[in-house]
Amino acid sequence: MSNDNLIETDVLVIGAGPAGLAFSIHYANLIGKHNIPLKVMILEKAATAGNHTLSGAVMNLKTLGELLPEVDLKGIPSITEVKQEDILFLTKSNAFGLPYHPKVMSNKGNHILSLGAMVGWLGGLAEQKGVEIFAGVAGYELIFENGKLVGVFTGASGLDHEGKPMSNYQPPTEVRAKIVVLAEGARGHLTKQLIDKFNLTQDKNPQVYSLGVKEVWEVPEGSFAQGRIMHTLGFPLGADQFGGGFVYGLNKTQVVIGFCSGLDYSNPAFDPHRALQQYKQHPQIAEIIKNGKLIKYGAKNIPEGGLFSWPQLYHDNFMIIGDSAGFVAMPSLKGIHLSIKAAMTAAQAAFEAIKAQDTSKERLSLYEKLFKDTPEYSEMYAARNFRQCFTSNLYLGFLKYGINLITGGRGLSLNGKSRLEADYKHCRPALKGRQLSPMVFDNKTTFDKEADVFYSGTKHDEAQPCHILISSAQVCRDCIEKFEAPCQHFCPARVFELSPEAQGNPAKIILHPSNCIHCKTCDIKDPFQNVTWMPPYGADGPKYENM
Amino acid sequence: MNIIVCIKQVPDTADIKIDPVAKRLLREGIKSMINPFDMYAIEEGLRLKEKLGGKVTALTMGPPQAESALREAVSLGCDEAILISDGAFTGSDTLATSYALSCAIKKIKDYDMIFCGKQSLDGDTAHVGPGIAGHLNIPQIVNVRKIQDIKEGRVTAHRMTEYGYDVLEAELPCLLTVVKDINVPRLPSLKGKMKAKSTAITVWKAADIQAEENRIGAKGSATEVWKVTTSPARPQGKIFEGEGAVDQLVLTLKGLMK
Repeated sequence: MSNDNLIETDVLVIGAGPAGLAFSIHYANLIGKHNIPLKVMILEKAATAGNHTLSGAVMNLKTLGELLPEVDLKGIPSITEVKQEDILFLTKSNAFGLPYHPKVMSNKGNHILSLGAMVGWLGGLAEQKGVEIFAGVAGYELIFENGKLVGVFTGASGLDHEGKPMSNYQPPTEVRAKIVVLAEGARGHLTKQLIDKFNLTQDKNPQVYSLGVKEVWEVPEGSFAQGRIMHTLGFPLGADQFGGGFVYGLNKTQVVIGFCSGLDYSNPAFDPHRALQQYKQHPQIAEIIKNGKLIKYGAKNIPEGGLFSWPQLYHDNFMIIGDSAGFVAMPSLKGIHLSIKAAMTAAQAAFEAIKAQDTSKERLSLYEKLFKDTPEYSEMYAARNFRQCFTSNLYLGFLKYGINLITGGRGLSLNGKSRLEADYKHCRPALKGRQLSPMVFDNKTTFDKEADVFYSGTKHDEAQPCHILISSAQVCRDCIEKFEAPCQHFCPARVFELSPEAQGNPAKIILHPSNCIHCKTCDIKDPFQNVTWMPPYGADGPKYENM
Repeated sequence: MNIIVCIKQVPDTADIKIDPVAKRLLREGIKSMINPFDMYAIEEGLRLKEKLGGKVTALTMGPPQAESALREAVSLGCDEAILISDGAFTGSDTLATSYALSCAIKKIKDYDMIFCGKQSLDGDTAHVGPGIAGHLNIPQIVNVRKIQDIKEGRVTAHRMTEYGYDVLEAELPCLLTVVKDINVPRLPSLKGKMKAKSTAITVWKAADIQAEENRIGAKGSATEVWKVTTSPARPQGKIFEGEGAVDQLVLTLKGLMK
């Protein structure tokens, strides 16, 4: 590697999402008060910051206010205050208000916004503070020296399907940094490698996820009030599955409809995209969108395990923040404000480390120490055993959660820490009786995956190696045999297609990597862990606007 | 070999909106990109520079936000970037635009080749490239799919035609418009993106390039827009499946030929 392709910086942040940007802004603020040159750069795989960001989102603005005391948060694009909220339990054709509305779930004073738009706005503020954001560049490969992380290679481009350089080949760039901050979002592919290499999840619960599938609808005024939020339990899920739907009134004519499905489901034929389509057929939802028009589609994973599922948050020369670590408090269905606060404490730790010229794990452990003193940590601590309540049955879950509330979050386990099992272990062999009947999509209010994927704006350079790696074709065949290929169902973008047995050739999986919307469900849920998600070329992927 | 690449910033959306009064594209708040054909022009310029030395200058005319297109060109490897931008250019048709660009090129003065994409995604006229060559009174080869040779002050290139290609030779300086077949454009590297952030973009106004007032803008335009519409969305294709699909297809095609 020639020096031509080497860049050096103090702090390299992977991912310009809310966590990566909050980290960089706070770090820049701290550096600004001292006489140290500001050298922080962010690599973002999306074409612009916010293009790969998707959330509901109902946000608690408190920590964003702490991050940006001088900024008027009313300037966030398309933000609106929560005015009305309902929690409903849906049966196939009815809806019931829940009798008890836990205070922790209240959204009074919170705001509905598009997290993607907020991230775009935050990116502008970060750049004003001297943070260098390089969008359209993915961190591809970790660089180690003497067993320690020292930087990241960006991906090469101009490769053919076999990975051989073509006439437009551009080599990777080597970025060396004293501290690397992993802010890749849920199931970051670099974070995953670091967790493995340094065994960062030892004695921890595995991270567990829900896949949130979301659509934005343009509706006639009066269909759903601006500032209204509705959360639902029940339909189309049975009591054996964790998940729920949401409807948010973003403005007078735009409504967000989404459905989150816990990936700890056991039926290999379950399909989270389909769950959203069924959800929209419920009379309660169908009424809202009956004269509407679909304008956007997307999906993302939510790390729901809580603080017992955090990997160790730091090690020599690196820290893990945001969804890559899992700052989500499930009872309130919130994480953005927690991620921002944690990112700020990580920035404090990075600042002290750079100042002292010591980036060892001992020095960076300040990050976790500082976060543990915040009210945001207390919020996560209170919810530490929440997700564990809901691993078998919804009603039993509420009972367990009730006990949780009485015992101050401790629950009934002896050491106060309830266990979780990784999502991929939950698949049960395909049972004929549990096959889902085919669903007919009317292309007015319900859409098949191909149609929905169009509304994600996703685009990939066709001339590149497939970015979804299948380790073993034999394992793939075994999976088809045993589970009837759950990938064809769990992927919300139809990247995986099952080509049935024909003319003596066994059934096999065909990949459509250019459909990918970067949710990484395949990497999480594949029952044999036979799929590895890698970033494609920079700027490829969905083009979320106002998501 | 000093090369100028003319590029245009176009809307990056399938959802084109038109101002019904001014009969122009609405660009405000719409994401934009470099006209895809111009990416091939940039790539060809860069490959020639890498082979023969010299420098590549990216040139565009447009509103101030066209600067981002030039920065992208620099991130790919262009050495310099010039934006001609002035309220006086507003309303320019292809005649006035090619005149203004030719004025800027005269000011750059030292050049051997000019590359353009064969046409723009939004206007689709394919006028501006040839227009520039006309104003500069230099030879041009359009729809180039391959540069065969450059030597002794002459370029030999393949011009794509409907059924094949012509081999043409022209004296330098010369203007070439290129088609997609000519190369595969590169993606910007991180290093290139860093350079793009720090490179200064030169901005010239109408007076800086000595453009005559009555030859630019609406005043200098030979055409008047009567009506602009977006082309209707293509209807969904038909899929024939299962047994007898081929027979059905043949029948349908025969029906269409009647």
